[in-house]
Amino acid sequence: MDQISESKIIGVATRRVDGPLKVSGAAMYASDHHFPGLLYAWPVCATIAKGSIANLDSAQAEKMTGVVAVYHRANIGKLYRVPPAAGMSLILDEKRPPFEDDEIRYYGQYVAVVVANTVEQARAAAESVKVTYNRDKPDANSKLLGSPLTTDKPEEKSKRGDTATALKSAKVKVDEVYTTPVETHNPIELHASVAVYDGQKFTLYETSQAVVNHRDVLAQMLGVPPEQVQVITRFLGSGFGGKLWPWPQSALAAACARNLNRPVKLVVSRQMMFQNVGHRPAIEQRIQLAAEPDGKLTAVQQDYVNHTSMLDDYDEGCGEITPFIYSTQNLLVTGGLARRNVGNPTAMRGPGAVPGLFALESAMDELAVSLKMDPVQFRLKNEPEMDESLNIPFSSRHMKECLTVGAEKFGWSNRTPQIGSMKKDGVTLGWGVAACSWLAARSETQASVELRQDGSARVACGTQDIGGGTYTVLAQIVSHETGIPVSKIDVVLGDSALPSGPISGGSWVTASVTPAVLEAAQKASQALLLVAVKSDGSSFKGKKPEDLELADGMVRQKGQAQGAVPMAEVLQIAKVNSVSGQGKSEGTLEDSKPKYSFHSYGAQFVEIGWQPEIARLRINRVVTVIDAGRIMNPRPARNQIEGAVVMGIGMALFEETMYDSRSGAPINNNLADYVMAVNADTPQIEVTFLDYPDYNLNALGVRGVGEIGLAGVAAAITSAVYHATGIRVRDLPVRIEDLLPMPKVNIA
Amino acid sequence: MAIDEHENEPKTSLGRLTRRSFLSHVGAATAATAIAPLASSSASAEAAPTEAASTKIPGTVPITLRVNGQSHAVQVDPRATLLDTLRETLHLTGTKKGCDHGQCGACTVHVNERRINSCLALAVMQQNAEITTIEGIGGPENLHPMQDAFVEHDGFQCGYCTSGQIMSAVAMVKEPWGKTDADVREAMSGNICRCGAYPNIVAAVQAVRRMS
Repeated sequence: MDQISESKIIGVATRRVDGPLKVSGAAMYASDHHFPGLLYAWPVCATIAKGSIANLDSAQAEKMTGVVAVYHRANIGKLYRVPPAAGMSLILDEKRPPFEDDEIRYYGQYVAVVVANTVEQARAAAESVKVTYNRDKPDANSKLLGSPLTTDKPEEKSKRGDTATALKSAKVKVDEVYTTPVETHNPIELHASVAVYDGQKFTLYETSQAVVNHRDVLAQMLGVPPEQVQVITRFLGSGFGGKLWPWPQSALAAACARNLNRPVKLVVSRQMMFQNVGHRPAIEQRIQLAAEPDGKLTAVQQDYVNHTSMLDDYDEGCGEITPFIYSTQNLLVTGGLARRNVGNPTAMRGPGAVPGLFALESAMDELAVSLKMDPVQFRLKNEPEMDESLNIPFSSRHMKECLTVGAEKFGWSNRTPQIGSMKKDGVTLGWGVAACSWLAARSETQASVELRQDGSARVACGTQDIGGGTYTVLAQIVSHETGIPVSKIDVVLGDSALPSGPISGGSWVTASVTPAVLEAAQKASQALLLVAVKSDGSSFKGKKPEDLELADGMVRQKGQAQGAVPMAEVLQIAKVNSVSGQGKSEGTLEDSKPKYSFHSYGAQFVEIGWQPEIARLRINRVVTVIDAGRIMNPRPARNQIEGAVVMGIGMALFEETMYDSRSGAPINNNLADYVMAVNADTPQIEVTFLDYPDYNLNALGVRGVGEIGLAGVAAAITSAVYHATGIRVRDLPVRIEDLLPMPKVNIA
Repeated sequence: MAIDEHENEPKTSLGRLTRRSFLSHVGAATAATAIAPLASSSASAEAAPTEAASTKIPGTVPITLRVNGQSHAVQVDPRATLLDTLRETLHLTGTKKGCDHGQCGACTVHVNERRINSCLALAVMQQNAEITTIEGIGGPENLHPMQDAFVEHDGFQCGYCTSGQIMSAVAMVKEPWGKTDADVREAMSGNICRCGAYPNIVAAVQAVRRMS
């Protein structure tokens, strides 16, 4: 593959091109769109988690002021099921269309929707719809290992060697269970759908991390050809996976707009965000590790079970990283799903890898303690030469350097391993470390680039910017190829009518758009050179296009600054408004026989401060070293890693969605009771990028940084907590009561 | 502006709608609820209510709000929060809804120069107040120093909580806080950023504080 190492703009810290719109409130998010005649929809949510609707009485609601319609199973009209997913199309988690039957399978399931002239009227009427239920006892139990599964036995996910024998004969072993609770994505932007229907075509303003898939899914559900659906997400108030696939409110808004022939806005409430738009499932993982006394791993076994909903199978895939992160002859990963009366789980930032690495890296720390080995040295000792699960080479792996550079920056050599042995200003310190990894990939992508007479360029791709800086990345790639400054490049994203782009997930947008946008820009440049040699009045007329080049926004003889003519002038002389080019990236995701194992790597070092006398646990500082290929734009990349560390602190110390065992309701369904890290929780965070280009992935050597920064953080924190307190917390989040010695009380 | 923000979009802003296109699309009876007009200039501050405001919509009451130095005579549902009125009636959508419970800070605006959560205020109770929203602080072409600092220090990712962060920050600079980063972190902890851009938010706020 081509290698582009020199660039004036790739790898250079660049201000976000969409920054001024975002800081002035001018960026248009889904629910900001407004249309003449707009109506407001408010769903009615089931107040049981299992059972069926006995009676739904909307008479009173229908009479209320401003109410236009109340829809439920009997009158919503046709909403179809979607055929099985094919590649990156037709994906959704909750496959049952809303109102399909009268069964209730999770708390908060939509049972009706009210449409009214104002949002207040819609909400009040929704609260006046009287629903009675045949109530069954729900199961939201978070005990998962040993539960009945959706399959006869756990599914084998990865296997090599003979783990059972190796574990039996092992000299040093760890065998523990780690649990992670339901986490709710909680982007600050509420899920929202604004549906406009003109009698034939649907224009849907959605909170979507994947506009093209969203279009395909909604076209199927509505029973119309995809050309009659356009999905627009100009700006997304992030998603963290929760906005990857369509949720039922989208079909409801579209159906209401269809039925009434009026635009309809449906904004999901924060309470509904805990019920109706996905979550990271509850997970239990048993990890068994074995090693020789010298620290060589001999066996790794991971058995996980995650909960899923009553109708759909969501597999968290906790063995995502386990098979290749360390060298071991014997390895087994199994996974199973257990049904619960909960809304559908879905991918949340770093799905599989993040909870999987919490368990695996915690166990690695426990084994290092048993071996009396330094946890950094223990990991270095088990570095693999190749991806032992696939027997293929790593494309670009610098895990060892992540650990050694991180140790150096953190001051790890000053660590004393004894529990509670490190103090500063009367505070007990704990130091912990964890390794991390996340996949790297390309997803099939198309893009177009236009070079225009006014000296500007336009680049279009049906992907999204969810906060990672995709708008700026596309401008950088076009600027690199054409020399046109970023400020003169219009970037158009977030529209299913554009050339099909990647989902904003998997940390693969940057790697995916790179080849497509480079090719589109090259083709547009070639079209421009053709104009230059063919046009009357052009100083290049009659020359061969292959002898010319577009550099610094000027057409010139290859390598000669003299006689260069600005792009705008070339087009003006030719009386041509614009030239364009299309580009395409091949995906790596569907490659059944990959030549390389593509992943990013990192190391997380954490210092906590523990004051038992006032029961105060704080994260003091975090040092993160990331090997994620060449970094396209260091400014937003650093921001993403820092933000991921902040989310990791939430995961380790705060976040847990709790279900009432009697009602099945998520009881802490608001942002005061579901605690997320705030500014005051943020420690000093030092991020280092190793910046080794991965040219096997694309010509710029870029991978992606959306998820890797979250992986490993929780394990590094619990390991630091152990180092300070001697208490190993295996059930997240760490609670202050976990760390306090409990008096023995005999309850008679 | 490098992003072609409104390409392929149907008309979304009130400014680009004529009364005719508006009324031809919807019945006149529903017109006033669908959109209430912005008063055209500050000169009309105490002027008689505009046409739509005088159209009686069932369940709504007439009020006058003073936002970003302009008066707006509008019909609102008496239950309408200041937040929903700004967004749905005045179409000042820079102010965001994140929780509707005063827990996230995305809806922060200034009322009489103090920062408040507009989701916890009823519109009908703000008739004598001077309300400032993010649109009143600065636009994309004329950024306020705090807005510019947020761009320069990358104090956001998705941008959704950003209006609230900036409204909080602009007010916070005038509040009696200490000088340290820890003070800023404490003062800004009512504004949740799920993207976790906190280190850069602190950097932006401190840059502006050092300037003044």
